[in-house]
Amino acid sequence: MKIYLYTNVFIDLIMLIVLIHFTGGIENPFIFLLTLHVILAGIGLSHKTTYFIATVALLLVGIMVALECTGLIPHINLEGFISPDQYKQTNYIIAILVALAVLLYSGAYLTTAISGELRKRQRQVVTLTQQILAEKEAELDVSAREIDKLEEEKKRFLSFLGMAAHDLKAPLAAIQGFLWLILTGYTGKITDKQRDMLDRSSRRINDLVNLISDLLDIPRIEAGQLVQEMKEISLGELVKHCADDFSTVAKEKGLDLNVEVPENIRKIKGSDVRLRQVITNLLSNALNYTLWGSVTIRLTETESEQRVEVMDTGIGIPPQELPRLFNDFFRGSNVSVKGTGLGLAISKRIIEAHGGKIWVESPCPETNKGSKFTFTIPSKSR
Amino acid sequence: MAVKVLTIDDDPDILIALTLILESQGYEVITARDGLEGLGRVKLDVPNLIILDLMMPRMDGFAVCKELQKPEWVKYQHIPKLILTSIREDASRRRYELETGVTLEADSYIEKPIHPDVLLENVAKLLKGK
Repeated sequence: MKIYLYTNVFIDLIMLIVLIHFTGGIENPFIFLLTLHVILAGIGLSHKTTYFIATVALLLVGIMVALECTGLIPHINLEGFISPDQYKQTNYIIAILVALAVLLYSGAYLTTAISGELRKRQRQVVTLTQQILAEKEAELDVSAREIDKLEEEKKRFLSFLGMAAHDLKAPLAAIQGFLWLILTGYTGKITDKQRDMLDRSSRRINDLVNLISDLLDIPRIEAGQLVQEMKEISLGELVKHCADDFSTVAKEKGLDLNVEVPENIRKIKGSDVRLRQVITNLLSNALNYTLWGSVTIRLTETESEQRVEVMDTGIGIPPQELPRLFNDFFRGSNVSVKGTGLGLAISKRIIEAHGGKIWVESPCPETNKGSKFTFTIPSKSR
Repeated sequence: MAVKVLTIDDDPDILIALTLILESQGYEVITARDGLEGLGRVKLDVPNLIILDLMMPRMDGFAVCKELQKPEWVKYQHIPKLILTSIREDASRRRYELETGVTLEADSYIEKPIHPDVLLENVAKLLKGK
């Protein structure tokens, strides 16, 4: 490769000298074109080679001049341009040769200096890039280890929550079981006063179980446990089932419970149990806070999402409380029904874990009464 | 001959409640405190129904179900099972379905706390469906 390069350069130089010889030799001002060779060499080749080529060029010109002056080869005069014997004048020859030498060597110096600097920079850039790459790789390594550690911690945390849930609820379940046994008469007759107190105890136990469940639900949802529970489900079926569960309550309160679910709704990916929890929560709230009128649950579908709306004609929500409605432990100022204040906060987390949104409007824009809760689930939820 | 019900739960209070309810209806109740003891009882007494808690020490309910799916238990695989799950612990139900590959039908599990009427209704349904 190198030999090819050198041969190429030399043939080039000799060709140019021959050309110059036939077009006036030292008289030809294009003799300075030889500098171009040196500049090109300076850009592409090494330091030494560049100076070597400059010297060779100078030597070749010297040889040509010597041969012409001694008459070994003929001199071709540029007629009418330069006087015929100028090529033999020593001063002229020296002047041209010196000028050429200066040009060749300064050209060599400049280009090798510039390209040398450029090469140095290039090397620095390469080392720097490699250094940065190595550093980033190390950082990635650390992050990967940290992610592993976090995953491990999450697993431990979830199993801790599972144990806590079990151990907190087990005694309550036993107590509740016994209370129900007594209340249903398996242990003999009880007085009305006893029944009343046992009833109250049973309800308090129930509240406590709900509170524990709610409190332990929050970290589980936030730790992403929901994703494991997700599968293909029909939101339409879910809405119908949940509404069915509340039909008796609605009838008892004298409220109309309207269910609007279109046919052939596509399936979505979601947690059956958790979405049931959300719908149940919304319906239960709507029925609790509506004294007369109706509760409507409606499912609609667009290309990108499915939307569930729960509308009631109830007491509504004071405007100043709307922004805090989904906060943990928030309880409305105008409600008397018992609750943990966590239902909507958990619903929001569940919907967001599905990649959806939940919001409230009060009064409901369609009826100008009560309130309207809406949540969306993306159709291609992953 | 009385219908034999095997109840497996690590909580003695739950066992007392279950026994009281079931015996009041004339069922013969056998109790076991964990999965291992329960499996021994299955072989020994050949019950008509197994009531099984999921979260137990030594051998839990998931392991009992998986053990019963093995070929050497083929003689006992027809015995219906009523799974007890903790209230609002859907994760354990989901885990049951994942581990055993069996979908829990509404009749084949009850949530604790156990209401006497719900228990008796499910027990009767499972025994009839046999």
